[in-house]
Amino acid sequence: MSAPSMEERQACWGARDQYWKCLDKHAEDTAECRQIRLTFEARCPQQWVKYFDKRRDYLKYKEQLQEGQYQPPKKTEETATHT
Amino acid sequence: MLPTLRLLLLRLRLRGAARACPALRQGSTASAPQRPPGVGPRRPASHTCPWPSPRLPALEPLTSPARALSGEAGAKDKTPVMMRLLVVLMLGVSGLVVLLSLYQEKELKRWQQRVEQLRHMVVGQGDFQLVDHTGQPRCKADFTGQWVLLYFGFTHCPDICPEELEKLSGAVHLLEKDPSLPPVQPVFVTVDPKRDDPAAMARYVRDFHPRLLGLTGSPEHVQEAAKTYRVYASAGAPDEDGDYIVDHTVLIYLLAPDGLFLDFYTRGKSEAQIAHSVRRHMLTYRCINQ
Repeated sequence: MSAPSMEERQACWGARDQYWKCLDKHAEDTAECRQIRLTFEARCPQQWVKYFDKRRDYLKYKEQLQEGQYQPPKKTEETATHT
Repeated sequence: MLPTLRLLLLRLRLRGAARACPALRQGSTASAPQRPPGVGPRRPASHTCPWPSPRLPALEPLTSPARALSGEAGAKDKTPVMMRLLVVLMLGVSGLVVLLSLYQEKELKRWQQRVEQLRHMVVGQGDFQLVDHTGQPRCKADFTGQWVLLYFGFTHCPDICPEELEKLSGAVHLLEKDPSLPPVQPVFVTVDPKRDDPAAMARYVRDFHPRLLGLTGSPEHVQEAAKTYRVYASAGAPDEDGDYIVDHTVLIYLLAPDGLFLDFYTRGKSEAQIAHSVRRHMLTYRCINQ
């Protein structure tokens, strides 16, 4: 499986940005953004989808820390590992 | 400071005017022609306040001391003050110049010390045997005599590698705009030799700077090269498609023409900052090693 080309990368990033914009608008409500999510998953390799989801979690976590609103999860297994 | 000087000069002018015109001193207005308020140096006789009225006209600017000196009566009185002012100004300016040059010298020393420290880290000492994206074998000696901006990454990278390579290409373009600087060779080395063969590298590098050179090789040789540059790389677990992401150090390395590592640039540095730093290295490198 060859690596995505520049056009494919940019299409993937565009879909990701749209998905994230939708999540921002609906306060992380994934139900509202189902359609956009499907486009995002279609345009990006599976590994990238997982990577961007982790990245989103990390960015939100960082935001919460900066605002002093971070609540640690109940179970440590639920915490996503960040590369 | 300027208002005080204005007041000082005004007082001098008035003193001079009083000497020339006894009527002012005596407070008589009999022979004095009627002047509208706010015009000319003469004050109304009834006004006994020693300080100048706020309605008096603006003074000549300090930049024309010659006019002030050669002006009305009492010029002799003004000369020492103007001369003193000039001397003070000149001393101040030369003091600033001395301070600036001292600061620049200190900065240069600090810069040279940093370069020495980085050299002592001995990164990139060993040789490497890799293959470029056209299939040609390349070793470290092929790059001596050239400035190199080096980045380690992989073609299946989601976002970081394309962004860093865009930045690297941008920095090289900026440096190319200055014809007095030697050319910089951009190099991209893979940390994923299993998937990134020369053909994959060729497809990848053409999206960036036209002179970007992709380097790959056998897993052992690539690992050796990564170790030489102290690059950490660890492939993640593959998914059902066999796709995986390689976690790796994200740095752009600057190599001097002698092949040694000179500086590095993190994610936070912009292409303008990188170009500026490389330019500075090029200029000071010549100074040190000539």
